[in-house]
Amino acid sequence: MDYSTFTQWILEHGVPEKTLELFLAITIVATIVSIFRYLFGTKSYGIYAPILLAIAYSYTGLKYGLAITFMVITISLLSHLVLKKIRMHYITRIAINYCLLSIALVSFIILIDELGLGLENMSTVPPLALISIAALSDFFTKQFVQKSSKSSFTALFGTVLIATAGWFVITRDYISNYVINNLWLIPLLIFANLIIGQFKGLRLKDYFRFKSVIKENDTKK
Amino acid sequence: MTQRSKYKNILGLNRRNQEYIRPFNPPSAKRIADNKILTKKVLAMEQIKTPEVYKLIRSKQQLKFLDWDSLPNSFVIKPNQGTGGNGIIVFYGKKKGEFAWIRPNGSVMTKNDMILHIENILDGRFSMGNKKDIAIIEERVKTDPLLKQYSYKGVPDIRVICFNGVPIMAMTRIPTKRSNGTANLHSGAICTGIDIATGITTYSMQMDTSSPFSDTYEDIDMTQDLIENKILSGIHIPEWDNILEIALKCQRVSKLGYIGVDIALDAEHGPIVFELNARPGLGIQVANKAGLRWRLEKVRDIEVRGIKHGIRLAKSLFGGEVEESIETISGRKVVTIDEKVLVYHHNQTKKKEGDKEYARAFMDTGVLTSRMSETFANRIGFFTTTQYFKSLNVPQKFNSIKEAQEYIDSHFKALTLEEGIKRIAKIVDGEDVKVRPVVEIKIKISGEVKDIEVVLLENSEYHLIIGREVLKGYLIDTSKTFRN
Repeated sequence: MDYSTFTQWILEHGVPEKTLELFLAITIVATIVSIFRYLFGTKSYGIYAPILLAIAYSYTGLKYGLAITFMVITISLLSHLVLKKIRMHYITRIAINYCLLSIALVSFIILIDELGLGLENMSTVPPLALISIAALSDFFTKQFVQKSSKSSFTALFGTVLIATAGWFVITRDYISNYVINNLWLIPLLIFANLIIGQFKGLRLKDYFRFKSVIKENDTKK
Repeated sequence: MTQRSKYKNILGLNRRNQEYIRPFNPPSAKRIADNKILTKKVLAMEQIKTPEVYKLIRSKQQLKFLDWDSLPNSFVIKPNQGTGGNGIIVFYGKKKGEFAWIRPNGSVMTKNDMILHIENILDGRFSMGNKKDIAIIEERVKTDPLLKQYSYKGVPDIRVICFNGVPIMAMTRIPTKRSNGTANLHSGAICTGIDIATGITTYSMQMDTSSPFSDTYEDIDMTQDLIENKILSGIHIPEWDNILEIALKCQRVSKLGYIGVDIALDAEHGPIVFELNARPGLGIQVANKAGLRWRLEKVRDIEVRGIKHGIRLAKSLFGGEVEESIETISGRKVVTIDEKVLVYHHNQTKKKEGDKEYARAFMDTGVLTSRMSETFANRIGFFTTTQYFKSLNVPQKFNSIKEAQEYIDSHFKALTLEEGIKRIAKIVDGEDVKVRPVVEIKIKISGEVKDIEVVLLENSEYHLIIGREVLKGYLIDTSKTFRN
C-alpha cells in the first residue's frame, strides 16, 4: 500500500503500523462516544468501555463480539444474583465473578466447538480481545450494585450501541485507509470535540423526555 | 409558536451543565453539597434545621466499638458522600430483646447485616468515585400528617430549585410501594409539581420503571398503591413561604448559584433540610409541565435584594399554574374543602315534601362513597332506617374485608329489608372494617342538584363527608374554609 509522505515518515521512525491504526481507531471511537453522549443522550459506561469494546469487536468480528458480550453479561448477572445471598466484601465478590467468568468463557469455547451454533471460528478469536470484552463485566456489575439494575442495563445497551457504531466506522477499509493517509484529520477531530463540548442544545433523548411538557403548553395556548 | 421554539423553554442536560452548574456552582460550594456532614455544619450557621446526627462512623475501628444499645429504635443510616439516595437505609423500630431492626418494607436487619452495610459505606461503595466514606446514623424524620396520607411508608420531600436568589420551580416526591418507600423518582416515587405562588400541587407523574428506556414518565392523578387512593392535585403544602425562605437561605449560605434544596416536613419540627443538590435533575419540568430555561433566563439579570424580594419575584413571575390548570380543565367547578351543602329531606311524614336544610360537609378525596352522620340522617327523615339497622345488632367491627363480606352475604336479606336501605357497604374506619347501611339522598352542591349515595356513620364530626364519587369533576380549593 502506498502511504502519504507524512505517514511514511512516521512509519520509518519505527512506529508499528498496527499501533498507528489503533491510535487512530481510538480517536475516532472517542469522538463517536462524544457525539452519542452530547447529541443523542446515550448513556454508556464512561468513554473507556465503548472504545475498548469497539476495538475488541474489530478483532473478533461483530457477530463473535456480541456473542461474547452476551455471555459475559449473562455470567456476571448470574454470579451477582447467586453471590448476593452470601454476605461478603465487594472486591471479593468481583474476584469470584472473574473466576466464574474465566470458567464460563472456556466452557463456552468448548461448547461452540461441540455444537457449532453458527460461531465455528470461535477458537480463532484473539485472547486479548476476549479479555477486553470480559472487562465489561466490571463496569456492568459496579453500576448494577451501586445504582440499579435498570441503569446498568441502560448503560450496557448504550455502550454496546456506541461500540457497534464505532466498530462499523473503524472496520470500513476506505475509512481507515483514508484516515491513515490524511493524518490532518486528527486535529479536525479535536476541533469537532471542541464544538460538541460547547453545544448547549437539547439532546435527542430530551425531545422524548420532555414531550409531555410541550404538549401541555399546546393545550394552554 | 413552532414546535422548535416551544422546545426552547426547556432546559436540557447540556445547557444545565454549561450555563448554570459550571459558571454558578464553584467547586468549593459543590464540595459542601456533596458532603452531608459539611452541609449540616454550614446550614447550622443559618439556624437551618437538618436531621439530628446520633453517630458518625469514620473507621472500622470505630464501628467495632459502636454502642448499639445507645441507638434509638428508629433511625437512618446514610453514606456521607452518597449519590442518588443509594446506600440509605431507614429503620422503623427495634426487635424486642434482639440486636435487630425493622425496615419500612417489614424486613429485618441484624447487627451483622448492619455492620456489613456500614463497612460497605466506609469502603466507598456508594460514594462518588468510590472514595473512602463516613457512615452517618441520624434521626428519622417523622412525616407531617398531611403529606403522610399520600405516601407509602417513607418520607415525602419537597425539592425547590433556586437560582440567583429566586425560587424557580418546586415539586414534591412521594414514596410509593413501587419505590419501596423511598422518594427516589428512578425507583418509582411519584413526583408532583407545586405552584410556586400558592404551594398547591398541580400535575403528577411517575416514572415508568418497566419501560426499557430510562426517563419515561406516565401522567397520573391519584396515588397508586394505598388502601384508599387520593387525588394528588390541589394539596396545599403546609408552611409554604417558610419552605421557600429556607431554600433561599440554603442557597445563600452554601454559595451554590444554581441549587436544588430537598426539604422534608417533620411532624414536630416543621421543615428540615435533607440535602443540598449542586446538580439537580431536570425531571421537575415534567412534574410542573413547564420549562426551566425561560424561568432561569428571566431572573438571570435581576438584582435580587434579599430573601423576601426573591420570594415575591418568584410568586409574581412563575406563580399562577393553579389558575391555568383550572382553565385547562374547563368546566370544572371549585368547591371549598369545608362547604355548605343543601340537603333535601327524605320523603317522610313528619315534615312536608320538598323540605331542605343546609349541612356542613367536608370534601374528602380519601373516601370513595360519601358518608353521613346518623344524627343528621335522623333529622332528614331516615329515623326508621337507622333504628331498623340498629335493631339488627350487626357486629361493631370485623377483622377483614373478607369477613365483613361473608357477614353481608349470609345476612343480606335481613340487612336490606328496610326500604330506605339501598345497599350495604364495607368501610374501613381506622384499623377496623365496619358494615354500614347505604341510603340515597338528594343534595345541591355548587349549584347542582344531585342524587347521591351515602354511608351512614354512627358518629362523625361533620354532617356530611363528600367522597370521590361525587367530587369527580370538581376542584377543591383548600385556601378558603366554611363560614356560617
